[in-house]
Amino acid sequence: MANKHYAMVIDLNTCVGCNACMAACAIENQTPVWDNKWRTYVHDIEIGNTDELVRRRFFPRLCNHCDNPPCQSVCPTGATHKLDNGIVLVDDEMCMGCRACALACPYDARYDVTSHDVEEGKKFFGELTHRSRPSVDKCSFCAHRVMQGQKPACVETCVGSARMFGDLNDPKDEVSKLVASGVAKPLMAHLGTRPNVYYISDIERST
Amino acid sequence: MDGMFYSTQNVWTWWIALYLFLGGLGGAVVVVTCLTDIYIKKHKQLVIWGNISALIMLSVGSLMLFLHLLDPWAVIHVLNPMVLINKPDAWISWGTQFIIWMIVWSMVYTLPYLLESAFWKKMPLVGSILGAFTWLGNLSEKFHKTIGWLAIINAAGTVAYTGLLLQSFPAVALWHNPGVPLLFMVSAFSTAMAFLLLVLYLAINDKEDATLRVFYERTDVILIAVELLIIFVFFHFTTYGLESARYTAGILWNDMGWIVGFLAFGLIVPFLIEFRGVTKGWNSPVPIVLAAIMVLSGGYLLRHYFMYAGVYERPYPAMNSIMQHSQSEHTPTVSARQGY
Repeated sequence: MANKHYAMVIDLNTCVGCNACMAACAIENQTPVWDNKWRTYVHDIEIGNTDELVRRRFFPRLCNHCDNPPCQSVCPTGATHKLDNGIVLVDDEMCMGCRACALACPYDARYDVTSHDVEEGKKFFGELTHRSRPSVDKCSFCAHRVMQGQKPACVETCVGSARMFGDLNDPKDEVSKLVASGVAKPLMAHLGTRPNVYYISDIERST
Repeated sequence: MDGMFYSTQNVWTWWIALYLFLGGLGGAVVVVTCLTDIYIKKHKQLVIWGNISALIMLSVGSLMLFLHLLDPWAVIHVLNPMVLINKPDAWISWGTQFIIWMIVWSMVYTLPYLLESAFWKKMPLVGSILGAFTWLGNLSEKFHKTIGWLAIINAAGTVAYTGLLLQSFPAVALWHNPGVPLLFMVSAFSTAMAFLLLVLYLAINDKEDATLRVFYERTDVILIAVELLIIFVFFHFTTYGLESARYTAGILWNDMGWIVGFLAFGLIVPFLIEFRGVTKGWNSPVPIVLAAIMVLSGGYLLRHYFMYAGVYERPYPAMNSIMQHSQSEHTPTVSARQGY
């Protein structure tokens, strides 16, 4: 049986900007929300600059789990590594926090979890806290949930079904079909990163 | 996607610029002093001054990096030479090993000279440490040329690494191009010439070094000329290239620190001073000393502006790379947006 190749499709037409994905991710992955640090973030952007036609776009973003991840190749310790199923993970034990990955990432997906954040996390999450070392953190596609057959927390909670998660190696998978159809497109593919987060544009549909 | 945002970063700022500057300078100083000692003129004082200075430069530079690690204990993973087998694709892995072995071999190369020097042997603590390594000094003397080349290879690797590291970040047009390693290498050797001219004029000050000083000055003139040519190529590349590169051009060519500090006083003025020195000569060492100081300042400014002027292009505003890192006090951040 072929390996899975996980990917996410985000339909910008159905994202309502409720930020439930941010909240679900923050609790699931214990991100330092007290310092405004998120694994996934929903931007609220105005499109167009004329008085007649200005659109509001909610733009969810996260690590793109690239097939050719520059954050992995620049990582000197091997802390950033890629699983056979396409998920890019960070090993907190190995990460020395040089932040080369943060510079290499075209998607601005990496952020600091400092020693201070680790201590704050212990107070915030109490005995449930699972973070013991600082690192340059990022989205993990909720690998711990995916391994158990569940969806990532942000996908599970998305009220508009804007986020879809699936296996590109399964031609019957809805995500796989959307990507194969060309409707869902990756961001900045010209950089050679081969990202695995795809977007369905809202502008193309409404014009 | 329509509508792109352009921004610089706050993740690696002046402290990395200083690391890249001292790394390039220290590595190039070791290369030049060892090559001079092996092939041009046996020069005990130059080797001691050059290689000890390089040790200090690399120590300070590496300390800058170390102090800003989120988890300094995890640095053990890159100090282990096995990192080259586990992570050969990461330039920081190579750079760390180049720096370590450059320091080791350059110090072993310098050891016989230190053991001959009364000044170092009489120095408290240092003298007794040197005494304990007399056997290594004797061994080094026996294989001096080989050890010199081991130092040179690792030092050249350190110099190359500083540019290759920046080149490995694909999202920034200013960094991700083959010109960066070339520019940083030329700049590193130019600053090394300038530093060693300061050593020869101010610290050693031996009349017998006149020929060597002229050789260094001539070499530096050529290196500065090549650097000016590469900068012109970058001017063309950023001005007429990708949109993010054009934002970089906008930052650099509107900044007096870049135009006056780096271009004028870091390259053109010292070039003219040294060019006159090698064609007509100066009656005093003062102009060359001033030119050398300007070249050194320019070497830092080049890396400083390269760190600050790297522009990312994204379909959303920067967040993590701007807001979450607070090493810098002020950054000429571009946060502009280009709609299509």
